Amino acid sequence: MSQQVAFEVTRELEAFVIQEAKLADTGKYTDWHSLWAEDGIYWVPLREDDDPTVKVSHLFDNYSRLSTRVKQLSTGNRFSQVPISGMRRVISNYEFFEEADDKYRIEANFYLPEYSIQSTHDFRIWSGRYTYVVSRKGDSFQIHSKKIVLVNGVEPISTLSFLI
Amino acid sequence: MSSKTDYNHLIQADRIHGSLYTEDAIYEEEMEKIFYSSWVYIGHESEIKKAGDFVARDIGRSAVIMVRDKANNVNVLVNRCSHRGNNLCNEMDGNKRNFSCLYHGWVFGLDGELLDVPYPDGFTKDKKDHGLQKLVSESYRGFVFAHFNEPKVSFDDYLGNGKKLIDRACNLSPEGEVDLSGGWVRQKFDSNWKMLPENDTDGYHVNYVHKSFVQVIPSQYNEFVGEESTNKGIVRDWGGGHTEIEFAGGYVNTLDWLGSNVEKSKSYVEKMHKAYGKEEADKRLFDGPPHSCIFPNLFLAEMNIVIFEPTSTTSCVQWSTPMFLKGVPELNFKLIRQSTGALGPAAFLLADDATIAERAQKSLSAGTPWCDLSRGIDRETVREDGVKESRMSDETSNRGFWHHYRSVMLGEK
Repeated sequence: MSQQVAFEVTRELEAFVIQEAKLADTGKYTDWHSLWAEDGIYWVPLREDDDPTVKVSHLFDNYSRLSTRVKQLSTGNRFSQVPISGMRRVISNYEFFEEADDKYRIEANFYLPEYSIQSTHDFRIWSGRYTYVVSRKGDSFQIHSKKIVLVNGVEPISTLSFLI
Repeated sequence: MSSKTDYNHLIQADRIHGSLYTEDAIYEEEMEKIFYSSWVYIGHESEIKKAGDFVARDIGRSAVIMVRDKANNVNVLVNRCSHRGNNLCNEMDGNKRNFSCLYHGWVFGLDGELLDVPYPDGFTKDKKDHGLQKLVSESYRGFVFAHFNEPKVSFDDYLGNGKKLIDRACNLSPEGEVDLSGGWVRQKFDSNWKMLPENDTDGYHVNYVHKSFVQVIPSQYNEFVGEESTNKGIVRDWGGGHTEIEFAGGYVNTLDWLGSNVEKSKSYVEKMHKAYGKEEADKRLFDGPPHSCIFPNLFLAEMNIVIFEPTSTTSCVQWSTPMFLKGVPELNFKLIRQSTGALGPAAFLLADDATIAERAQKSLSAGTPWCDLSRGIDRETVREDGVKESRMSDETSNRGFWHHYRSVMLGEK
């Protein structure tokens, strides 16, 4: 069972999440990719309790596909992110849990304003809940999974080719 | 509805006018003539397997429910209480014993009949006359189409060669049926809806819009992005607005279209041999699924099914779901993964298509431009059955869409 995490560890975990968010916001694709463990799952379901082996997701990447995603973004020809959307996500309401196998689970709400400069020039708001599972790696952490449950995941959604 | 728009001028043999994507009056006329007074695709019977199962869809300006009743009939009902017009069912899908309105408690059966009116003494009209509006509907191999009015064109005439395209999809299942139970991803496009069927059977853009895909992802499409002289893809205009890119001629091995091979998909191949005999099964397994649009709103997108939903002159939604093959559940997870990879807002392909469509929408709204559609017009061929064919990069398919569209908007079909 999960349990509460020591305060000083929560500070480290929060700093890690903030770093991950900054790399995503600024399109530092290779650096972002290096945060992932090789069993990583990056997932945006339609509904929180969907089974991704039975139902479609907006995005469901294992490590191999995640690596391809980063490669595609890095070509400079992924036109839905050329140039990269303007993004500055805000993450808050953190909760931290200890999991089995020396892993930590972090849950937090996010609010992500996106300026979609590539086509519509619209200013969009994305919001939902992040759930990370991470473990220590060197003096930092590695991500085993990041699940992103959008508040409007069952609705039609716009282009999501940036790193959410 | 009488039109002030001169569609013969706006849609010519070799070009179309940009206002077709941007004028609100044209959009309103499409809602009336295409989505209210013609056959439209609603959903698939496999989405509603048991009595009481329903799915909600928006078709043109109307919300509808497709529901299976206790007699096993599939009904397409307008999702609006016949009393004061309230939205009857707010869920996207589910199972119900009946539909009851939140506003005054009117209750309707799964066939749309009005069953109960609270405090009945005050309502003296005959309940029989106050059921839900029921659309005329027809099904072909589980694909349900409907019509809001009394059809002028029979269902068979409307679907025409589209039957062959649906057959090709269903024939990949050893049981002859597809199953659409994987759920729907819905992607919002800030573009006119017609850019979707156009783009989906446009073989010319692949090397450009999907450059980053081609650069990093080896796929069955690799055979179709090189020089024109080696590209064996074909575009077709099947008539009736139904259009296609045919990939079969360019595949190298059996099951290329599945990103698989005979060795890896042994159980599937065996089931197909058993169902259809080796020769016929091997042909189906080599040629693969259709990549075809059925006018106006259905796209048989290889191993996916796609619905186009117009939402305004400048916006639309593309629905997509993996096309499971009945009798081969071992493929389902692979098909889900492929569907999520190709289609939807975060996909390797469709995200870029949306951006390109949105850029076109923005630039077309700024003036009164013409869009050229002449590519291949002098080299396309007409088969004996009237089907037009040309090279994959040619605009034969798009001309087929637009010329049928014109006849519908002129009230000829």
